[in-house]
Amino acid sequence: MTEQLAAALAAEEAAIYAYGVLGVHLSADDEVSRARAAEQEHRTRRDLLVAKLAEIRASTAPAPAAYALPFAVTDRDGALKLAVHVEDGVAQAWRVLLPVTEAAERTDALSHLTDSAIRATRWRRLAEVTPLTMAFPGRPVS
Amino acid sequence: MVLTGRVQIHSRRLFLGVVAAGSTALAGCGLFGDDSEPEPQPDPLQPVLDEALALAAAYDRVILATPNLAARLTPLADDHRAHAAELTRLIGAAVASAAPSASAPPAATDTTATLRKAEQTAQKTAIAACTAAPRERAMLVGSIAACRATHAEALR
Repeated sequence: MTEQLAAALAAEEAAIYAYGVLGVHLSADDEVSRARAAEQEHRTRRDLLVAKLAEIRASTAPAPAAYALPFAVTDRDGALKLAVHVEDGVAQAWRVLLPVTEAAERTDALSHLTDSAIRATRWRRLAEVTPLTMAFPGRPVS
Repeated sequence: MVLTGRVQIHSRRLFLGVVAAGSTALAGCGLFGDDSEPEPQPDPLQPVLDEALALAAAYDRVILATPNLAARLTPLADDHRAHAAELTRLIGAAVASAAPSASAPPAATDTTATLRKAEQTAQKTAIAACTAAPRERAMLVGSIAACRATHAEALR
């Protein structure tokens, strides 16, 4: 499970970085507060994962200082697109924890997968991207 | 939930087998004459499949009654059909019968609000099924649970 937890941690750290980048391109109050709330949620999950990994005495690679973005983010459209992208990525990371967890731990992983999938849906709506949903959130799109 | 279905059937058979082997003296007395197979238990994911089909049909009814919602609702109905297809493949033969026919007259009670409520109920079923599922099924059922949650959000 260590490998999957470490991957979830990497995804959460990337999300925190991404919200920092994309937040400055949002100006509508509801979008800014939504991005802040999302970033805070990813920080909370990051802290939980760090604690969990420390508990099982696993060492992980330090988070990189910066990330290569999948595309340039220069305006609101790019910001919303990046928000969808990172939430989809975080959902994928939590999904792979489902088979290696049980009971409450699995329910937690599913809850995080679901939160990210819902957030991605909200960002899609703001970006006016359709469809708003995908049939299998967290499944890598081939 | 892992201890349902096949495991129960197996242990029942084992029990009958042991009794039969140890009681040849009783043969012919009729006590064990009715050795019929127990009904196979439905797959634990059958309720998730039934809901997927029922939801797809409910969306179809709303679209039929309110065609201007088609663009918004059709992708959601398609998600449920994708779930049903994968669950049917996973479970095997047993295909649910619970889904009402799409050609049925639109029920006056079907609205986006009732769809949303049905999605939330179905999400709970899928969460419970995911928690109880063997590891090889956890990702599929987890994605279905998450998808149902996003549908409830999309219907806001």
